[in-house]
Amino acid sequence: MNHRMRALARLLAVQGSWNYERMQGVGLGFAAAPLLEPLATDDPARHAAAVVRSAEFFNANPYLASVALGATVRAEYDGVPPEQVGRLRTALCGPLGAIGDALFWAGVLPTLLGAAITAIALGARWWPVMAFLLVFNALRLGTMRWGLAIGLANGMRVGAAIGASPLPRLATRAGIAAAFAVGAAIPLAGAWLAHPFGWRGTAGAAGIAMAGLALSHWFGAQLTAPRFGLLALGATLLIRWVTA
Amino acid sequence: MIGASLLTIVVLLAWATVCGVDLVSFPQAMLSRPLVAGTVAGWIAGDLEAGLRVGVLLELFALDVLPVGAVRYPDYGAASVGAAVASAGAPWELSIGVSAGIGLLLGAFGGWSLQVLRRLNTHAVERAGGELGRGGFATIRRLHLSAIARDLVRSLVLGGVALTVAWLVVRYLRLDRETATALTLAAVGAGVASAIGGAVRGAGTNSPRVRWLAAGGVAGLATAAAAWSFR
Repeated sequence: MNHRMRALARLLAVQGSWNYERMQGVGLGFAAAPLLEPLATDDPARHAAAVVRSAEFFNANPYLASVALGATVRAEYDGVPPEQVGRLRTALCGPLGAIGDALFWAGVLPTLLGAAITAIALGARWWPVMAFLLVFNALRLGTMRWGLAIGLANGMRVGAAIGASPLPRLATRAGIAAAFAVGAAIPLAGAWLAHPFGWRGTAGAAGIAMAGLALSHWFGAQLTAPRFGLLALGATLLIRWVTA
Repeated sequence: MIGASLLTIVVLLAWATVCGVDLVSFPQAMLSRPLVAGTVAGWIAGDLEAGLRVGVLLELFALDVLPVGAVRYPDYGAASVGAAVASAGAPWELSIGVSAGIGLLLGAFGGWSLQVLRRLNTHAVERAGGELGRGGFATIRRLHLSAIARDLVRSLVLGGVALTVAWLVVRYLRLDRETATALTLAAVGAGVASAIGGAVRGAGTNSPRVRWLAAGGVAGLATAAAAWSFR
């Protein structure tokens, strides 16, 4: 396995040592090691300093961390002053986090989940689950590989390269696709689960959903999904116990 | 679960552990999503239908929050395995309400355990601050691999707790038909409300996303009405 592939494999665990001090920093340092190996024979002193910097604070979307990894390693090989490498690393956290989260967490993931739930509700059985896994992982592995390549190719100029890439536009479009897919999946999933109970059962579930939305509007972020779910189940048990 | 073989229980525990580690540490391949974790657990336990139903139901709750950075979110991986196992072999109409309760409780417990893990990782990094400053890849590797090992232990414990809770529920919880049905409908309603709430928050206000969310909702409702009126 060449240096790039080893680095990519290690990036699959970039959040393995996530902590409140350096966040993904140690994970990124672990992934940087194969790429920095040639520097150890050429210039051991520079290699040691680069290893120290590779594990400093970093936090971004894990699938786009490869961009920062490639760019900072390229900067180390180019002999860029250490403080500039540090600034590049810090400067990349925000954009890579924002674009990556918008693309994957608010775009690709809910789109594919919505499509899978829709297919299951319409009669497909296990295959949408498999398709979801295959498509999501193909997209994220492809993005990670592309990110490492664009980082290594551009070094300190990686910000401009990302800006010129289709990534920001894709993130916006993926969000719209996610909204439609999730919007379609919710009533289908609800109907699929409540349909065997007839119209009265479906209306009851819909009533609880309406009450949940009203409570959610009232209490805001305090009423998380698990809290509301447990509240609804507890209230149901209480009502059944009182009316039994 | 009651009559499951030792091999089935070991495979379920291994699957729950894989799901726990997948959430954050490795490989973040979305194996920990309730839809995946629950479906596969149902298949292992011999009841794919129950796994699918529990998976879809818990996924509605999980859509409420996205696993972004330092955000605190539930860990539904092992929780979905326990929930699917609790439903396996029983009529899903009567069991997935209770399973949703198990999944939500265990998911919250898993989320709390993730915070504990992150604090332990932080202490380890703070203690190794001097070594990290002096350089040397061995320190980075030790910190990273030991943190993943901690997550492996966390996930194994979570999986054990999830399967134990599922076994206790199947073994001792007895509900009449009406109560079990009411719990299922309550869980479905709560799941739908959670998913809508999460989608609306994600879409924000006055954006094209809100319009596309509404368009999707109308399309979903129309498809549901058409699909079930022909059944």
